[in-house]
Amino acid sequence: MTTKQLVLIKGTKEGLVLQLDDQCAYSDLLDELKRKVTEEGLEGQAEVTIHVGNRYCNQEQLKEILHIVQESKSLKVTKIKSDVITMEECNEKLLRNQSSTYIGIVRSGQEIKADGDLVVIGDVNPNGKVVAGGSIYVMGRLKGMAHAGFNGNRDSVIAASWLEATHLMIADLMELMTNEITILANKPEMECAYIHTNGRIAIDRLQDLRNLRPNLSTFKGGS
Amino acid sequence: MGEAIVITSGKGGVGKTTTTANLGTALALQNKKVCLVDTDIGLRNLDVILGLENRIIYDLVDTIEGRCKVHQALVKDKRFDELLYLLPAAQTSDKNAVTPQQMKTLIDELKLEFDYVLIDCPAGIEQGYKNAIAGADRAIVVTTPEISAVRDADRIIGLLEKEEIEPPKLIINRIRPQLMKSGDALDVNEITTHLSIDLLGIIPDDEHVIRSSNKGEPIVMEPSTQAAIAYRNIVRRILGESVPLMTLENEHKGVFAKIKALFSR
Repeated sequence: MTTKQLVLIKGTKEGLVLQLDDQCAYSDLLDELKRKVTEEGLEGQAEVTIHVGNRYCNQEQLKEILHIVQESKSLKVTKIKSDVITMEECNEKLLRNQSSTYIGIVRSGQEIKADGDLVVIGDVNPNGKVVAGGSIYVMGRLKGMAHAGFNGNRDSVIAASWLEATHLMIADLMELMTNEITILANKPEMECAYIHTNGRIAIDRLQDLRNLRPNLSTFKGGS
Repeated sequence: MGEAIVITSGKGGVGKTTTTANLGTALALQNKKVCLVDTDIGLRNLDVILGLENRIIYDLVDTIEGRCKVHQALVKDKRFDELLYLLPAAQTSDKNAVTPQQMKTLIDELKLEFDYVLIDCPAGIEQGYKNAIAGADRAIVVTTPEISAVRDADRIIGLLEKEEIEPPKLIINRIRPQLMKSGDALDVNEITTHLSIDLLGIIPDDEHVIRSSNKGEPIVMEPSTQAAIAYRNIVRRILGESVPLMTLENEHKGVFAKIKALFSR
């Protein structure tokens, strides 16, 4: 008979947390979890976060745990938290946060793609395309197509020294740069495109980016 | 060991063949031994512009398929004493009759004997283009001051930059100074900044070019025309001289001529 409890229920500011032991056998854990969720006499519905700690659970196992907890009608799982990820997931995450630099001209028919942010030092000519998982920064003339946040990052932006693109895409939105967009009629110098709160792609001066997307800045310290 | 230069453009009708014929002729006039290779298999033109059409016996595909020796297929231009030769394209096959590897072997063989091998590339970016650039050491991109031609030149430059050859040089053909001045056509500066490669030369739009092409005599043989001077300048630049870019203003009249014109009214 074990004295240690394998499943702890804790109340925190964010609601209930199911703390699962990460040292015991997985089958023991499941048994105890089943017991705990049926025993507990909870009234109404409570939102709960499952914390698996340092145990690595694959997608199947996570599904199994989720299934057991949800069998009890009174518990609703909002999130599953884990302290471990695989190397693969870690590398993917790193790639997404990495900034890639391309020096040269992106010519007609060429496509440059980066998983994270993309810095292009040179022009993007008409029919050239730059694609990034994060934001796109062009130090030169952007006269072709740009797609920022291609896997759904709606906070990403497209900034260019000269923004004269034919197509601007951010996440799942696309804007054709027709003459109707009056800001382009003037000098399209030092501008950035982002998703406005009204849900459309808007273009503003580069200086406004600091206020529009304060989280883009990763710089720490300084005076 | 000579040098192989491919003349290409992406878009058709911008003057690749005319440029090849004239640069080749101008190089021969400078006492260089030149071979012009027409790689536009199925739609050959270079022979017509050089006026050598009726002297073709064998062609490029014949040499590659071993039906004749390279020497037998070369057509000598009798106007230039043993200096200018043409390797004509086949008219009855198509571009797939030749592979890039075969082309490279052929060009390497020609390079041993000639100072310059100029390769006339067909329009497009398919098999014919791949064959044409296979043996080249350098590339010249021809464009005109039209947006469509500049777009295609941009695409071609992008493709050429992936090859193991020197960065391509640009020729802007068929320039009409009036249109450029009024802003109705792209100007030379706009085109060079857009494409950002070195400019080798500019050639004015000149009706003499059409006339001489139809006669089968390259324009450089009439040195009085502007286009001929432009082509000769380009050749001098290819040979390493530094020649300033020609001004394309219509002849300026001097002060005296203007005053004279006033009084003679």
